[in-house]
Amino acid sequence: MRFPRPPPSERAFSIGIPAMIWQVLFFYIPLLFIIVSSVVKVSETGAIKGFTFTMVAHFFTPTYLKVIFSSILLALSNVVICFCIAYPLAYFMAFTGKRFKNTLLFLLLIPFWTNFLLHVYAWFYVLENQGFLNNMLIHLGLIKQPLVLLNSIFSIMIMMVYYYLPFMVLPIYSSLERFNANLIEASLDLGATWFQTFRRIILPLTMRGVRAGFFLVYIPSFGEFAIPELMGGDKQMFVGNVVSQYILAEGTGSLGAAFTVVSCAILLATAIFFYWLMDRYVYVKVR
Amino acid sequence: MRSIKLERMKKVINGGLIINDIELYIPAGKFFALLGPSGCGKTTLLRLIAGLETADAGKIYLGNEDITDVSIHERPVNIVFQNYALFPHLDVFDNVAYSLKLKKLPKIVIEQKVFKILEAFHLENHIYKPTSQLSGGQQQRVALARAIVNEPDVLLLDEPLAALDFKLRERMLIELIDLQDKLKTTFVYVTHDQFEALTVADQMAIMNHKGEIEQTGTPKEIYEFPHSSFVAKFVGTTNILSGTLHKLDTPDPEIKIPDLGSFKLYIPQKKSWMYEGCDILISIRPEKIDISKTEFQNFSNTLKGTVQSIVYHGRSTQYNVLLKNHTRLQVFEQNEEHFPQEVIDYDNEVNLYWQKENVVILEK
Repeated sequence: MRFPRPPPSERAFSIGIPAMIWQVLFFYIPLLFIIVSSVVKVSETGAIKGFTFTMVAHFFTPTYLKVIFSSILLALSNVVICFCIAYPLAYFMAFTGKRFKNTLLFLLLIPFWTNFLLHVYAWFYVLENQGFLNNMLIHLGLIKQPLVLLNSIFSIMIMMVYYYLPFMVLPIYSSLERFNANLIEASLDLGATWFQTFRRIILPLTMRGVRAGFFLVYIPSFGEFAIPELMGGDKQMFVGNVVSQYILAEGTGSLGAAFTVVSCAILLATAIFFYWLMDRYVYVKVR
Repeated sequence: MRSIKLERMKKVINGGLIINDIELYIPAGKFFALLGPSGCGKTTLLRLIAGLETADAGKIYLGNEDITDVSIHERPVNIVFQNYALFPHLDVFDNVAYSLKLKKLPKIVIEQKVFKILEAFHLENHIYKPTSQLSGGQQQRVALARAIVNEPDVLLLDEPLAALDFKLRERMLIELIDLQDKLKTTFVYVTHDQFEALTVADQMAIMNHKGEIEQTGTPKEIYEFPHSSFVAKFVGTTNILSGTLHKLDTPDPEIKIPDLGSFKLYIPQKKSWMYEGCDILISIRPEKIDISKTEFQNFSNTLKGTVQSIVYHGRSTQYNVLLKNHTRLQVFEQNEEHFPQEVIDYDNEVNLYWQKENVVILEK
């Protein structure tokens, strides 16, 4: 017996099934575990003994809130710096450098070909006291004593921007690539300066890409623990470091889960706030 | 309302000479059409006037003011793009109000101006719609309204009707003519469509493939008295015959065409390049030739041929007549009657007649 072919919309759904199973098994169910274990009291033997909010409440103290706040600050500065570098670069790739756009895209993606840790070690050589940057600055006569660059917020920031930049460039580039250049000309022709054109036409019409870039950079940099750990030399504490310490230490797993839940809730709130902010102030309704 | 004057303009793009030493005067308050084949550089010329391109040499004057180095947003010139370039994130009102808001005019003045112009363009029911919900003709009118609400000295139109269907295009042409009449703004209309150019223009210029202006004049001058075979062929259809010039200094000059014979010409003014026996080209418009199976006497020129093909156009019929030197002549006859007295059919022997005054001698 032959079954009729399902209509295209249902076929698309069945194509997505393997990915959905994967996502549910390895993401949504573990996420549920984390949320549950953050509010469940467990005895020494592993039996569930009811609900408690003491673990969650434990983190509403200045020390931990400061960690969350500095993570937000780190992620936000990373986003802002990445945006300021990525937008002109994407603009150049989409308009001026059109002929070389494939080469430029290729160059942008080359860093992904080598392992992340190798990049970190390469930056050690650049930033250490006897490293490339200090040697060069001394050689040029700009400084006399080598600067302490490693293990600081500076080295963390450099590595963050270095690593996350492509995630900001690519979505902005893809929204600029489809941009009708006549719109820019029309705006200039109607009396707008270049800055007014950017503010009123180009930026609002590429917001989709900017927003995607924002989330691709903001959310992972909030939870980033490898870069602060390796480049910050234990001095700077961020959400990722706290979580990894709790989870990896003996017997504090549910505290780690609770802190994850707290910081995720705050992350979500800030993300929604920034989304609203972008929506509110980018689309200038002048009427 | 100001005139535009281009002085020895030159523009090179990617190593190719697009605009070749152009001198052009566009009179103030006139509807000026710039006609040329695709890729001849007419859009580039328009973009140079708008300030969207910078010239490699030459000067642009707006009235008496040299605007060669004035940047785009400071030129009192606005352009309507071929694809309209409406801002997709703004509604009709905000699109039209764009330039007024940049000028920081009071809100009430902006609203008055925008409502007035949208009413004039029959868009009062679409004021707060996103532009993507409008039809092609409506989008076209929004683009026009946006460009003229700013009251520019010169309005540039880059093939503005190319995307519209034939009927709508005809109606928009009439609307454009009325609009120009009312505003008295200088309009510069770029097109590759000779019908559009002839319809709208007070004055027009023809550009050739080399990026040069071939001829300027009124539509009638261009159509009836083309200077070159390029203009004669590009504007309308024509028959071009080549031969040698004879009896130049007599009252009855002639062209001698190999294997066809001699035909009378009318030369109102002798040109410096003409001499006895020189090679010349002549152009005869197909509608200026009469075709008949019977013989008539009172025409200056007569020729015999065989009808090779007949194309029925509705208001007229086109006959392609094979001559004895194996060239073909096109002839248009108005279809004036339902039941013509004389029916011309394939392979008929016919007589072709034309008056010497209707022949144009071309310079090249």
